[in-house]
Amino acid sequence: MFRNVLMLAFFLLLNACAATGVRETVQNKDLPRQHELTKTPFFPQELYHCGPAALATALNAIDINVTPDQLVPEVYIPARQGSLQIEMLAASRRHGALSVKVAPRLDAVLKEVAAGNVVVVMQNLGLSWAPSWHYAVVVGYNLEQEKIWLRSGTFERFEMTLSTFQRTWARSEYWAFVALKPGSLPASDDPDAVAKAIVAFEKNSNKKDAYLSYDAAVKRWPDHLVLLMGLGNSAYALGNYSHATSAFRDATTAHPDSAAAHNNLANMLMILGDAKAAKLAAEKALALAGADQAMRVQIVKTIEEINSYTAKNPH
Amino acid sequence: MVLVKRFFSAFLAASILFTGSIQTVQAAMISSEQVAEQAFTGSADQDRARIISALSREDVQVALVERGIDPVQARERVASLTDEEASAMASQIENAPAGGIIGAIVLVFLVLLLTDILGFTKIFPFTRSIR
Repeated sequence: MFRNVLMLAFFLLLNACAATGVRETVQNKDLPRQHELTKTPFFPQELYHCGPAALATALNAIDINVTPDQLVPEVYIPARQGSLQIEMLAASRRHGALSVKVAPRLDAVLKEVAAGNVVVVMQNLGLSWAPSWHYAVVVGYNLEQEKIWLRSGTFERFEMTLSTFQRTWARSEYWAFVALKPGSLPASDDPDAVAKAIVAFEKNSNKKDAYLSYDAAVKRWPDHLVLLMGLGNSAYALGNYSHATSAFRDATTAHPDSAAAHNNLANMLMILGDAKAAKLAAEKALALAGADQAMRVQIVKTIEEINSYTAKNPH
Repeated sequence: MVLVKRFFSAFLAASILFTGSIQTVQAAMISSEQVAEQAFTGSADQDRARIISALSREDVQVALVERGIDPVQARERVASLTDEEASAMASQIENAPAGGIIGAIVLVFLVLLLTDILGFTKIFPFTRSIR
């Protein structure tokens, strides 16, 4: 029995040397060796309110002035004595920030910090069977010292070893996100994550902010279908028809089999008065829609609108 | 009563479905959300997913109020969720980890102190992990 305990302790110690993923990150040549965003504001947490405190830190870091107290009714759930991850993302959007999930890797988090973006992380500071779920904000790291610094709870500059951080973070399945100003993008090269984030953002944001985000994203990833369609739709919503048309045209070029791209291009061409080209684009869209009923209904509507336009405006 | 509520929800869901495309941009324009759904989840079952999400929104709102949130706030919180988030939250609200607790559980104080020192956990700010 005693021997077993001894063995267990021995293995625990062995295991304690370095958490998985830390060595790779420390040896990563693409990362600056150290960086710290010292100007990040700090909001000490009040009992159970680490969610609002972490969110306030991240939002104030991008000059969105909001206090933890204001955020409590938006993210805190009294009966759970905490805040859920989904609501952290949603509340950040409500205040005009684009919230983008960060890839579940330590180097991805540090890359954001190096690029000037603080990262909100969820940790389980306890153990899986005695959980102590906690939100904190990563503001700095040093690869030589293998240290990471966070705005955490009541500590303005909470120091952890990278290994300990990695273990506590792993228990939330490496959950992390950045809150960005509209028009800014995360450092990581993940267009799908950005597209998902902007589509969610667009739902409640003002039109201009959605447009700024799509515009910045398309400049970086010019062939992404969702981003191009979003740029077209948001330009259209602002009344910028020429920009909308060029975005939809780019979408049809990069994705010639997208029925949605041809349909929206057709609508724009009709608005610009080119009924003939509009009709062609709409027919192309219908041919591409295949068996997608919802899509067909919308495209047929486009064609009907073009037909009635042509009937009213004969050459 | 539950049946009536369900019927009403289904009706509501159907009406949201119907107005969805009109509300976003214009009659015949296809919304970015719709394109994203297709790109990321595949075209199958989109309508079904949307009905489920409309139902989940109501469930989430009720669940939030039950958990001590002001009804007006609950409505706003639900409104800021995407369809995907609403469905996820409906199933997770009771069990998903809710970040908030800092401090130790007395019963496992010693265990956590040990694991802190070993660098597995970080409950106590005064501990220094051996590595």
